[in-house]
Amino acid sequence: MMPARIGGMHIANENPLGLSWHDSAWIPLLTPSNIMDYFSEKSNPFFDRTCNNEVVKMQRLSMDQLQNMTGLEYILLHVQDPILYVIRKQQRHSPQHVIPLADYYIIAGIVYQAPDLASVLNSRLLSAVHHLQCSFEETMMYSKYHPSKGYWWDFKANKAGSSPFNSAQSAPKEVSTGPKEEPSTLFQRQRVDMLLAELVRQFPLPVIPTTSSQTNGVTVKTENMTDKEKPIESNNVNNITIKQEPIDPVNTEMTNGSIQGHIEIKTEIKQENMKPPPEKKPRNM
Amino acid sequence: MYEPTLRYEKIDFLGEGQFATVYKAKDVKSDKIVAVKKIKIGSRLEAQDGINRTALREIKLLQELQHINLIGLLDVFGQKSNVSLVFDFMDTDLEIIVKDSNIVLTPANVKAYTIMTLKGLEYLHQNWILHRDLKPNNLLINREGILKIGDFGLAKAFGSPTRINTHQVVTRWYRSPELLFGARQYGTGVDMWAVGCILAELLLRVPFLPGESDLDQLSRIFQVFGTPNEETWPGMKNLTDYVQFKQFPAQQLRHIFSAAADDLLQLLDRLLALYPPARCDCTQALQMPYFSNKPAPTVGAKLPMPTNIFKMESEKPSLKRKLLDNIDGGSLAKRLQF
Repeated sequence: MMPARIGGMHIANENPLGLSWHDSAWIPLLTPSNIMDYFSEKSNPFFDRTCNNEVVKMQRLSMDQLQNMTGLEYILLHVQDPILYVIRKQQRHSPQHVIPLADYYIIAGIVYQAPDLASVLNSRLLSAVHHLQCSFEETMMYSKYHPSKGYWWDFKANKAGSSPFNSAQSAPKEVSTGPKEEPSTLFQRQRVDMLLAELVRQFPLPVIPTTSSQTNGVTVKTENMTDKEKPIESNNVNNITIKQEPIDPVNTEMTNGSIQGHIEIKTEIKQENMKPPPEKKPRNM
Repeated sequence: MYEPTLRYEKIDFLGEGQFATVYKAKDVKSDKIVAVKKIKIGSRLEAQDGINRTALREIKLLQELQHINLIGLLDVFGQKSNVSLVFDFMDTDLEIIVKDSNIVLTPANVKAYTIMTLKGLEYLHQNWILHRDLKPNNLLINREGILKIGDFGLAKAFGSPTRINTHQVVTRWYRSPELLFGARQYGTGVDMWAVGCILAELLLRVPFLPGESDLDQLSRIFQVFGTPNEETWPGMKNLTDYVQFKQFPAQQLRHIFSAAADDLLQLLDRLLALYPPARCDCTQALQMPYFSNKPAPTVGAKLPMPTNIFKMESEKPSLKRKLLDNIDGGSLAKRLQF
């Protein structure tokens, strides 16, 4: 018997503002005259059964006695028949002097604790900050950077589909599929290739070739480049390519040349980004 | 020569019972208000056996007992063929307080009464005496809010293993199940059970188990605590008056005493254990968390008093039915039957 009650109290102690309670058997019968009885149901976690109300009730005395007692009591503060009742929990020090501790409202039979001002402010501030943070995160996805252009906003494309890197790398194909994409210039491409070559020389590739398949090497390399060039997008690409690549393409890659494989993968990344149904993939190859 | 009849100045007639008349009197010597209980010698038949048995018990035991929570026997004197006992004067008793619907007994008040009762009883038990007639009516309270256990008409020494006691003790509503089953050898448990019933009555403001007959009393007990079996009460079936009862499931005390805190329920549970050896004694009870937890017991001066007690004094002789009730056996069957 004890654990259940203590358990109930425990929940209430943790955060009473996140709780609601109702007893569906009572709900159709609620009136201003029995609402206090409803509230003092034993299963109601908001009701402290050691309060004066319960003491008086247990002793079968008149509720008028509450005025002359000191300690914790509940009163019916406000009634808006038949839907809303407000019950106040208060500490009584004398017949005239009471200190409110909490209010509870019963709407359509469901009991909630009315939050205090600090909780309301806390909660509102938290949700405001949360939404601000979300909007910043969202905004970040539309900010683009290119060495030749600097920063700019790109609201046209969907998040992942068209990063400057993608359009630059696979320009020849892009032109046909996505005419909206801004093609990179020859200068840019040469410049990037040069930079990449330089980077590869400075940081030689880790020794992967132990795996016999050539394809794997290529795949990883592509991803590495992707990683370096556009960190935001990399997650997307990584997830998809790594998970889906190994099984299907291996065979085709083995027969095809490595360069073709490289292009294949690119296309595939592109495809994945645009979210094609998975069964379309083999057809492309 | 010391003349006791001159020492006590009669102020008021308090009441009359079968065996005694009680007066409120003033002790001229100490200027204290006292209660004088004048034992009636009664008819010739009764007089043959000498002084009344209950009065003898009170004199015998109370002379040796001295405790703040026990009624004090201040003096005994004889006048002609009468014997008079002089007691502390007590303004009211717990029964009057329990029945006064203008009074709210707060948890702190209940704790104060319970502590005082247990302390007095602890002293009594330490001196190997069973009260055997505890009930709200026998817990006297003076205007300082001090509770004293009164009426030792049924009190008796206990602990002698060969001694057979009568089971026809304790007012029925406060009588423990072993007495109701006719146990002839019992101990402090009978008083502890009564304390449990009194505590319950303080909480509910009505008698907790108001049985209409001895069988009904047992039935009511089992309806609350569940019918015991050989496992929960070994040896129960060997008691003289044992009868098989319908199987009742035990109820949860916290449903009955809805406003009682858990520590109080714990105490009630120990006081009202069906199996007598499982019942706690006074010392154990006083060690329980209930008495050290909040709220602190109300100090004596702040304990409630019946509203009419002071008013009545000025208007007309206060009806002290307390002592009276004890003398003629009260309204309930409880007296020793020989």
